[in-house]
Amino acid sequence: MKRFVWVPVLILLLSPGCSLQQEQPGAGIVLEVAVFEGGYGIEWHKSVARRYEQQHPGIRINLWGDPRVDEKLKPRILRRRPPDLTSCTLPVWKLIVAGKLYPLDEALDSRAYGQDITWRQSLVPGILDDFRYGGKTYAVPSNQGAWVCWYDARQFRRHGWKPPRTWREFTALSEQVKAAGVAPLAFQGKYPTYAWATLLSLYQRLVPLERWYAMQDLQPGAFTDPEFIQAARLLQEMATRYYQPGALAMTHTESQMEWVNGRAAMVFCGLWLKNEMKNAIPAGFEMACFPVPTVEGGKGNPRAVYSWGAETFLVFADAKHPKEAADFLKFMLSLPSAHDYVQRLDTLSPVKDCVKGVRISPELQSAVDVLDRRSCIFSDRLADLYLEFSRTALQQSLADLMSGKMAPEAFGARLEAAIEDVRRNPEIYKPPARGVPTP
Amino acid sequence: MTKQRQQRLFILTFLGPPLALYALFVLLPAVNAFRYSLMRWDGLGAPEWVGLGNFRKLLSGSSDFLSAIGHNLFLTFVPGVLILALALFFAYMVHQRVWGARLFRVAFFFPNVISSVAIALLWVLIYSTTDVGLLNNLLKALGQKEAIAFTESSRLLWAIVPMSVWTATGFFMVLFLAAMENIPETYYEAAKLDGATPGGQFWHITLPLMWDVLTIGIIFLVVGGLKFFDAIWVMENGRPSPATHTMSTLMYSKVFEQYDVGHGTAIAVLLFLLVLVATLVSLRLLRRERIEY
Repeated sequence: MKRFVWVPVLILLLSPGCSLQQEQPGAGIVLEVAVFEGGYGIEWHKSVARRYEQQHPGIRINLWGDPRVDEKLKPRILRRRPPDLTSCTLPVWKLIVAGKLYPLDEALDSRAYGQDITWRQSLVPGILDDFRYGGKTYAVPSNQGAWVCWYDARQFRRHGWKPPRTWREFTALSEQVKAAGVAPLAFQGKYPTYAWATLLSLYQRLVPLERWYAMQDLQPGAFTDPEFIQAARLLQEMATRYYQPGALAMTHTESQMEWVNGRAAMVFCGLWLKNEMKNAIPAGFEMACFPVPTVEGGKGNPRAVYSWGAETFLVFADAKHPKEAADFLKFMLSLPSAHDYVQRLDTLSPVKDCVKGVRISPELQSAVDVLDRRSCIFSDRLADLYLEFSRTALQQSLADLMSGKMAPEAFGARLEAAIEDVRRNPEIYKPPARGVPTP
Repeated sequence: MTKQRQQRLFILTFLGPPLALYALFVLLPAVNAFRYSLMRWDGLGAPEWVGLGNFRKLLSGSSDFLSAIGHNLFLTFVPGVLILALALFFAYMVHQRVWGARLFRVAFFFPNVISSVAIALLWVLIYSTTDVGLLNNLLKALGQKEAIAFTESSRLLWAIVPMSVWTATGFFMVLFLAAMENIPETYYEAAKLDGATPGGQFWHITLPLMWDVLTIGIIFLVVGGLKFFDAIWVMENGRPSPATHTMSTLMYSKVFEQYDVGHGTAIAVLLFLLVLVATLVSLRLLRRERIEY
């Protein structure tokens, strides 16, 4: 009977948590890379890893992907045994402030793979701004996003509609679309914060960049600013007049499906739209985009584009091989890898000239045209920095504004009160004011 | 080793692992949740002791927690009253062997074999404002011009009422029916001889003799209403707003989306206490003299 005592002991020993397996010594360096497996998959990352291994025989890369990579990372971060390199959707700022990340400046200031410039110089100016803390850079995005308005060029040609450049042209176009029996705009209503980038773009069209960034730096009164209220009014008018009926109850895929099927003429979205809808886009559909229109009388830079770095990679301070991980990241974001990225995934890399000499799809070309005409890029960091603000007050206020239940003035006042809570809360970390980033 | 000691060791060998697993995966996390509710912790860095600070914040006027309790109470009582009334009515009708009683019993119970997430998705489609929306298409056929956004945040709680009623009525009907079937037929025969009406029989025989089961049903509804999560989460696509948050969705959102583990676990502790108190109060209020038969 005594032997039964060993049964639970054996079970516990054989369980994965009690694994006694160790990394084999003498096998060189093994880099563990954990990748968020979203719409872009991990096949490109794997191919880069294989090329890196060929060029660096002493290094083997153990790369894995998971759509819920965050859940797997959290306990490992706490146990101080994280993978060497990761892309995830964990709040980067919380990790930076908690001292969990390794600064990448040494790698950024070293020579880029395949180019005679530093890695930092090889990236789109401004793309690293959101990841700088205490003079150091803690993350590098592997994707460049842009907030634009998408339309079907074939549908526009058929009806004689023209992409608008100004807000007046936009509303006139929307009236024309409505008259043709089509809803002017699809909207991802179940996620009201999809309107945040549009609202901030409208505000940018109205004010100089100094004032736009003052809002980002938590300047009191920014949300009750007359120009912000005007931007909110434009958004509300657009929502109540031109959103497809029922849009506020639609998910992102439902609303984008309405657009793909021609029942709505336009949709504001990022560059991931094609990848997200690729299985539903009918033959002959010609995706094209234009930037958020300028507003008549606005004092904002008309050629600034809302663009940001996404699919962000981080090296953990507790990683076993942080230097090697940073070097692999540099290789991943080299020009040859970026060309491959653009071609395979039909999206943009934050590496300069990533589309030069590469055959790209007409829809991506349309986005490239928007970005090529830009004078600078800007993007929000309030939503990422202050989750307490974005996941509660912002989300609900946007929903109430777009449904017409809340006046733009009340909307501004509510956001101002919510950001005041953030301002006053000593528990919430606020980075130093950054002003207008210098390219 | 004596035989008794051997027996004890044998029992311990088999009881030990499940008890250890239960302690590891249930008791320890529960104790930890109580501990974390007294700390400020983002789940990434080092936790910091704040005492009852998280609870004070939750119970302050500006918190979403109080409105979340309101939503839980709405989702407990509004569908709950309808579910109880309909389940009792249908159970009584089936008990009276109305025509098609067997078919009704199966049909009403059917939603219980579907997972709650699948049910929520089904109702999302019923309410959809796109071409697939059953309800909006019906309203359109009746002359409604524009689709109604039933699942928009401000209307969502009301939209959940019919779904909850459709889902839960069958279960409670079967529960009550089983209780009714256990009541001896002789009571009804005697009542009929005394000239009791069907309503009188229900009020004076059926209801008192199934009171224990009815109490259990009410407790199920109260506990279910206070822990309401799945439908809100699915119908809001994982992003409930302050207009729709229940205590459970707010708890999840605080821990996993806002990285505020202290507040999230404080909600979990308050939810536990509320469920406990609500259950005890329900039992106390519904206590009656037991009728034996």
